[in-house]
Amino acid sequence: MKAVVCFKVIPDYSRLSGEDWIWDERNYVDIGFVRRIFNCFDESALEMLLKLSQNPEIDSDIEIKALTIDDEKSELFLKHLIAVGYDAVRIQPDKTIDFRFNPLAVSNLLAGYIKKTDQQLVLLGQQGGEGDNRQTGMLVAERLGWPFISEVTEIKWSETKKYLTVTSRIDGNTLVQSIKLPIVLSIGQSIESSHLRIPSLKQKLAAKKKKITTLTSLDLGIGADIGFKNDKTLIHLQRPESNASCVFLENENLQELARSLYNDYIKERL
Amino acid sequence: MTLTREAIVNQLENIVGAERVITDEQVLKENSHDRYKKFETICGIYSTPIPAAVVKLKNTKQVSDVLKFLNENKINTVAKTGGTATEGGLETIVENSVVLDGSGMNKIIKVDKTNMLVTAQCGVNLGELEDQLREQGFTTGHSPQSKPLAHMGGLVATRSIGQFSTLYGGIEDMVSGLEAVFPNGEITRIKNVPRRSCGPDIRHVIIGNEGALCYVTEVTVKIFKYFPENNQLQAWSLDNMATGFEILREVMVDGYRPSMARVYDAEDGVQHSFDQFAPDKCVLMFLAEGNKNIADATAKGIAEIVQKYNECQPIESKIIENWFNHLNWGPEKIAEEREMIRKNHHIGFTTEVSGNWDCINTIYENVIQRIRNDFPHMDDITMLGGHSSHSYQTGTNMYFVYDYDIVDCKPEEEITKYHIALNALVVEETLKAGGSMVHHHGIGKYRTDWTKEEHGSAYYILKGLKDHFDPNGIMNIGTIYPVE
Repeated sequence: MKAVVCFKVIPDYSRLSGEDWIWDERNYVDIGFVRRIFNCFDESALEMLLKLSQNPEIDSDIEIKALTIDDEKSELFLKHLIAVGYDAVRIQPDKTIDFRFNPLAVSNLLAGYIKKTDQQLVLLGQQGGEGDNRQTGMLVAERLGWPFISEVTEIKWSETKKYLTVTSRIDGNTLVQSIKLPIVLSIGQSIESSHLRIPSLKQKLAAKKKKITTLTSLDLGIGADIGFKNDKTLIHLQRPESNASCVFLENENLQELARSLYNDYIKERL
Repeated sequence: MTLTREAIVNQLENIVGAERVITDEQVLKENSHDRYKKFETICGIYSTPIPAAVVKLKNTKQVSDVLKFLNENKINTVAKTGGTATEGGLETIVENSVVLDGSGMNKIIKVDKTNMLVTAQCGVNLGELEDQLREQGFTTGHSPQSKPLAHMGGLVATRSIGQFSTLYGGIEDMVSGLEAVFPNGEITRIKNVPRRSCGPDIRHVIIGNEGALCYVTEVTVKIFKYFPENNQLQAWSLDNMATGFEILREVMVDGYRPSMARVYDAEDGVQHSFDQFAPDKCVLMFLAEGNKNIADATAKGIAEIVQKYNECQPIESKIIENWFNHLNWGPEKIAEEREMIRKNHHIGFTTEVSGNWDCINTIYENVIQRIRNDFPHMDDITMLGGHSSHSYQTGTNMYFVYDYDIVDCKPEEEITKYHIALNALVVEETLKAGGSMVHHHGIGKYRTDWTKEEHGSAYYILKGLKDHFDPNGIMNIGTIYPVE
């Protein structure tokens, strides 16, 4: 069985201050000085598929791939994924195409790869930190004509291994479904698989020698002039208004102060 | 006659009042450990004896009264303020120990802008002190990673050092005067003068005593003018650590004093994401600061030195600046680390040593090689590297960093299987090459096996201090001095 996680590496936005958000006339923000990290939902998806493929109780024969659309800088991350057990694939993006806020173009490339390589199980993070579009997974499923489940938190094989047991969140409730492949899963906040495992030094050294498969859109039969049209136009960027407020609690009695903090401010947020 | 646990608590309540004597079981458990046993703590396992009480101290008089009582009754005591110790110094290894918590003694007593001094009680948080000083245009110049959590008493007691030490020095260079209480209740004050020739410098009996000789209650440190607008950060990638040490030496010997002078090896650089900007390379960085004329000259002089080395390629300073601004450990980072360790059974530690210029590269290479060759659980190691971050006229430090998966062992076996074993290899190789086994964390309780070897014939002096000031051996048993 073939399975793929489509992932994205994004800037670590938590390390940016307000002053760092300066955009040019093309609405590009230069944040090349900030480290990049796995998009958190994609990181969960990557760990989730590793767990599924390496379950010692089930004799699984899954071929797992990690796929990203990015330039050479992403290869450090792909090497990390090779070290933990993935085959790594990178689609070189066409420099003339703006992939920001463009899930149509992204989903076109991903679906092209999935079809060409006969994948049966596709995992993606539910949204990326840059556009927060929440559309790519659905568009991939639509292009493939496959079923789709959103906000997935856990996947397991059924006992017979004929089905996949998928746990997801829907309207604040937990839904557990047994499904047949193929399927596209959009991964939400997973407690079980919140972080990708760390490879050992030996695994990292071994990964350095392995190759990353690099493809272009043409390799996937998608011409650079077709299939990348965006249905949105980026007109300008604007800083969202922040309405954070601060209340100072004052009381000589520490117990009353703690009680007030809990009852009036913390309790309702738990 | 040995007092029972109940009698100890009763007597302490009589001295300081019941509200200041904490006997809540969870509080006692948490006060039996420091960050050395962080895996056990996270797993809720407390293998160290639980103290009889934690005493929340109000003032120097209470410290004196309590110490006198403990000394007369031969009860072990552990001094504590911010609780950020990493080397077991805060572990209560003896039954019915008493933890003396000075974190409530948190008044900034005086900012003396004429003599450039600030006096603070032992429980003043360095981060808060620094913020207040910076609002007035001053800085202590002391900036350890633990700044958001550490308190002045603990920083002095452990002989700590900060990230800007190459300019401002370690805490021992900053302390002007002190107040400390000895186990017999004697309160001593060392006055604030710029220098004197009146016998040995007795500040150094107190600075770095790790609670094994006395309790630090008040500290006066120097302050400096704060000119952040003049900061100039420069960084380069390079091929190997030997060149990095050579450049650090040249910068120091030529008389430049950047506040920060660091070289990271490639493996350590990965955990700081330096590999994203300089793959498979070491990274060298300097921060020139202070008065504009000095900062300009320092940055220019350093750049001239580095440019002579062809293997050095410049790195955009904004990359390093962004990284450095997120380096400190506040409560949120500690909480995040705890969660990661609990979930993944993956943990990281450091061992920091120092050596003169003629042996530091040998120490670096031998330690890394020794661990790779001799550590029996190399398959569990996920990171092994290091960096130098504090340089002097005569040498520099090495901060060895190692991360590992905790595999097939109980929480209480983790330190023996991994941390103690790795620590030992670092210490042995460092001493063999002529370096010092501890640069700035303090000896704590896990490097005492080598205290005598570290000091050699000078151990006579160190032991003399213990014999004289703590004849009953009640001050933090097992810290600095090996348990005989």
